[in-house]
Amino acid sequence: MTATIIDGKAFAATVREKVATHVTRLKEEHGITPGLAVVLVGEDPASQVYVRSKGKQTVEAGMKSVEHKLDADTSEADLLALIDELNNDSTIHGILVQLPLPGHLNEDLVINSIAPEKDVDGFHISNVGLLGTGQKSMVPCTPLGCLMMLRDQHGSLSGLDAVVVGRSNIVGKPMAQLLLGDSCTVTIAHSRTKDLPEVVKRADIVVAAVGRPEMVPGDWIKPGATVIDVGINRIDAPEKGEGKTRLVGDCHFESCASVAGAITPVPGGVGPMTIACLLANTVTAACRIHGLAEPEGLTA
Amino acid sequence: MTASLIDGKAISAKLTAEVAKDAAKLKASGWEPHLVSISVGDQAASALYVRNQRRVAEECNVLFEERNYPDGTSAEELIGVLQGLNADPRVNGIIIQRPLPAHIPVKTLQKAVHPLKDVEGMHPASIGNIVYNDLALGPCTAVASVELLKSLPLEIEGLNVCVIGHSEIVGKPIAFLMMGLGATVTVCHHMTRQVAVHSRAADAVFVAVGKPGLVTGEMLKPGAAVIDIGINRVNTADGRKTVGDVDMESAMDVAGWLTPVPGGVGPVTVAQLMRNAVLATRMQQEHYAAAFSAVQEQGVGT
Repeated sequence: MTATIIDGKAFAATVREKVATHVTRLKEEHGITPGLAVVLVGEDPASQVYVRSKGKQTVEAGMKSVEHKLDADTSEADLLALIDELNNDSTIHGILVQLPLPGHLNEDLVINSIAPEKDVDGFHISNVGLLGTGQKSMVPCTPLGCLMMLRDQHGSLSGLDAVVVGRSNIVGKPMAQLLLGDSCTVTIAHSRTKDLPEVVKRADIVVAAVGRPEMVPGDWIKPGATVIDVGINRIDAPEKGEGKTRLVGDCHFESCASVAGAITPVPGGVGPMTIACLLANTVTAACRIHGLAEPEGLTA
Repeated sequence: MTASLIDGKAISAKLTAEVAKDAAKLKASGWEPHLVSISVGDQAASALYVRNQRRVAEECNVLFEERNYPDGTSAEELIGVLQGLNADPRVNGIIIQRPLPAHIPVKTLQKAVHPLKDVEGMHPASIGNIVYNDLALGPCTAVASVELLKSLPLEIEGLNVCVIGHSEIVGKPIAFLMMGLGATVTVCHHMTRQVAVHSRAADAVFVAVGKPGLVTGEMLKPGAAVIDIGINRVNTADGRKTVGDVDMESAMDVAGWLTPVPGGVGPVTVAQLMRNAVLATRMQQEHYAAAFSAVQEQGVGT
């Protein structure tokens, strides 16, 4: 058996199209232009790339994009004042503070000062709790993207056995909540789990989010299962020449693909979905803030 | 093999004694823990719980004040009451007794309680803290259930745990608490195809569904610990009885440990509520001290 390769780039493009359609509808029917503000503190080169990419895609989807670039030595008070201003700005529906922040800033304090309804990253402690109790919340982008892919693959997830490998706050835990919300029987496995191969083998859905290159081999996978690989790891690739590297996931792609029913590749799987889901969350936030119906196909 | 019963009353008594000591210390420093219990409408359904809470509060040196509001009280009026209590420095914890009249949305009220006074652990921020592994004020039943398991000679790290029932106030928080302690947790619910497959693989089973006889001996791994959170009133040949979700007769032969119902999770839950009251009071004391010293540093009022 050879797995269907889930094309994350193509799928993310369909999500962005849906976002653009909703944006057009919001503008025409309600005179609302969803707005996303991204706050970057300092000059971390990777963060600068992300922020630029986010801004570009926001504008392409027809939304308003605002970037605030602050000096690395910005004080906590100044950053909180900016967030307060954005919280009260009615043209802004989503606020994202690019992490990591410089060491002198308290990340928890900063994130929790964002109005929960504008917290498009879904990291505010109230959103974590709302998701944890199955209530309407802003959902972290990466697990939301995984959920969308799984729904696309399976239709209904109800009754399926799902195993999430990894219990991180930004992927593993919210992923488990989302799968429970879609009525999967969910197991959360992690570094302390005994007999991980057996646990993974029971699953119709495997979400790997550990950050260990090619940790899950094909013989752990139940034939026909769907494998969502969230890991992005850079490893040496001497076959490409000296000093060369390549990206791999947490699953061993070739062996898993020979057993699974469907699998996401790395790169080109989950990765492209994250920014698409950020845009989706901004539209969702705009709809909720204005008391409109949930945008179809964009939420958990 | 015959299972040992886990003595919830004894664990509760130990916890109560600790809490009473802590509360006495707080009182000596001018911070007597003070709980306010809010009931709305017909009190018959919650009367037993409230009476029980008052009794344990007294044992714990916690001041317990009951406020009853008439059935016709609006959600807005109740939120106003909660805001008043949030602002009142003499009140340290707020309990919203259930059931509430149908026109009062319980989640709206729970959200209106200040997180520092949320002794029931029901505010989204309190649940969020649990998910993020910061065990400040946890939901009492879930924390009590985990405490019962922790009283056993089991290594929690790497333990295979099955949680049956994924309610917001019990099943899910238990799953996150256990995960935080390093267990491998599987959450089953009404859509799970074969609960027995998961429960039989588990070293510990938590069940919180509300169906008498749901978990039988053949669904358990020999020697497993079983924490029964169900409370069901059933008619038997000897009259009305309270039972859990576990079929005791068959489970006794297979399990290693079982919590009885009544006398298992219930008593520990109330003790945990009082522990939360003490914890909340201490957090508020620290909060005021920090705010006061900040004011002093700025020289305000001098």
